[in-house]
Amino acid sequence: MGYIKEERPETIAVEGTWDVGSYHYKGSKLLEEYVKGLKQKSLIGSFCPGCGKVIVPPRNLCGRCHLIMDRRKIVSNRGTITCFIVTPPIEKGKLKVLGMDPVETGLIKEGEVVIPVFVKFDGSDSNTDTILLNTDPKAVHIGMRVKVLWAKEPQGALSDFEGVEPL
Amino acid sequence: MSRNAAIIGCGQTKHSSKRRDVNLAEMVSEAVYNALEDAQVSLREVDAFVVGNMQGFGGIAQPEQWLGDWIGAVGKPVIRIATGGTTGGSVGQGAYYPVASGLHDIVVAVAWEKHSDSKEAGATTGLLHVGLGNFFHAASYGLSLKNLVATSAVGAAAGVAVYQAVFYMHRSGCSAEHFDMVAAKARRNAAKNKYAHLQWPGCTPEDIARTEIIAYPFRYGHICPASDGASAIVVAEESLARKKTRQPAWFKGLAAFSDEENQLQSENFGGVGVLDPCEQKGCWISATKAYKMAGIKDPKKEIDVAEVYQPFPSQELIFAERLGLFDEGTAWMALEKGETDIDGRMPLDPSGGVNATNAIGSTALQRILECALQIMGKAEEHQVPKKVRNAVAHGWGGVTSYNTVTVLGDSPGR
Repeated sequence: MGYIKEERPETIAVEGTWDVGSYHYKGSKLLEEYVKGLKQKSLIGSFCPGCGKVIVPPRNLCGRCHLIMDRRKIVSNRGTITCFIVTPPIEKGKLKVLGMDPVETGLIKEGEVVIPVFVKFDGSDSNTDTILLNTDPKAVHIGMRVKVLWAKEPQGALSDFEGVEPL
Repeated sequence: MSRNAAIIGCGQTKHSSKRRDVNLAEMVSEAVYNALEDAQVSLREVDAFVVGNMQGFGGIAQPEQWLGDWIGAVGKPVIRIATGGTTGGSVGQGAYYPVASGLHDIVVAVAWEKHSDSKEAGATTGLLHVGLGNFFHAASYGLSLKNLVATSAVGAAAGVAVYQAVFYMHRSGCSAEHFDMVAAKARRNAAKNKYAHLQWPGCTPEDIARTEIIAYPFRYGHICPASDGASAIVVAEESLARKKTRQPAWFKGLAAFSDEENQLQSENFGGVGVLDPCEQKGCWISATKAYKMAGIKDPKKEIDVAEVYQPFPSQELIFAERLGLFDEGTAWMALEKGETDIDGRMPLDPSGGVNATNAIGSTALQRILECALQIMGKAEEHQVPKKVRNAVAHGWGGVTSYNTVTVLGDSPGR
């Protein structure tokens, strides 16, 4: 046994909160470059001089070669699904992400089935993480051909890339 | 040249979803004192402590400052290690190094988690603490807020593992029914382990298949619980180990590697060049290096039992292959034949594994501890019915591809 001085059914509990929300982080220059590309409806990737891989979105260093990826390449808006998840219908009060209820905040519609996917865009060698829209959940499969769904009026923000939809 | 080191004592607490009878320090001390008693070692003989849990979980940033007194660490070195889900594996390996190097003779490793101290389920405080930075990186990974939230709706580790599972199904030909079989086996094995959390004697794959879908292909019954609990091992150098214990569990080989982070929410900006999330190269490299150090040439023949880190049933199959225990894409066939049962050819997680008991920080140390119990012959009801000469313990975590592999044996490697 441990160092428990006396047996007891329950410890005294004191309630408290811990505010972990008050931080800010800095984005990189690459992020700026990427969103500028999104405004032009183009997907920018970076090219590794070592293994020749093109990674979308671009990154500074190749994960395996550890070389600086300073060359850019624009890849196709079309790609192939390499992996997917299908959620059950998301309901209000069931889920908290980043401390908020996504249905309450309007980010996800009540009863919406979300399909997060990995897409390998033509001309790239990486998985890009996004969501699949305008699709029957039963129809999604690995190898499905998709294209980017752009915002109606791109602002030069990450939200310009709304997701992907079937070709 | 390094010295031989062995585990000479193991201690655990009972695991459950709420340990309201103890606070964090009391719970951790319970595991430490159980281990010291098992090893027949007095506190005076312990030279140092290696401790760890998930950073920030339970709302405590520096728990070692609280529990140091409780485990008898006053005036002694305490090292805290936190490597995410792999923490326990790193803590166990962290206790090996000072003993092998000759710095200390007896070191205690203890790891724990106390999920229930967080008011919301799933250790929200901790996940926010760990996750906020990661969430931010996800934003810079190219996900807008809406898509980030949508993606995160799948859940933290489950969201990561579900990609692996879909990939594994696609390339190996296994189906969701095999995940039911793994989960049912974990519940049944756990029923034989008195410290385990989700115990379900006689659980069948059909029982699991009746539970609700969380995110295809995972069902509620596939997912590990959030447990309160702690585990501890006592590591000693060769002469002390031989004096104190009839059958020590010797450290024969160990390694820890990570690949390029191979999932979403990576720490680096940008896409990822790893197309297959279940490739888990870090596990493969760790296993290869650990086997080489242990002098094991054919793990399929020389490993007698494995404790695989499998919070999700797909991972038992994926990692058993990466650990070289089965050929690529065949672990599910061995599962069908019952080879991975307690009395099978290659028992996987006879303790029930992480799938049945998940006190996150402690889980990977429990894998090492359970391997030690099998070698020492102290696993009681879940002891495998064969002579265990070599056992392999695995841990998975970090961001999503950090792996620890520890090979224990009934005799020192050299």
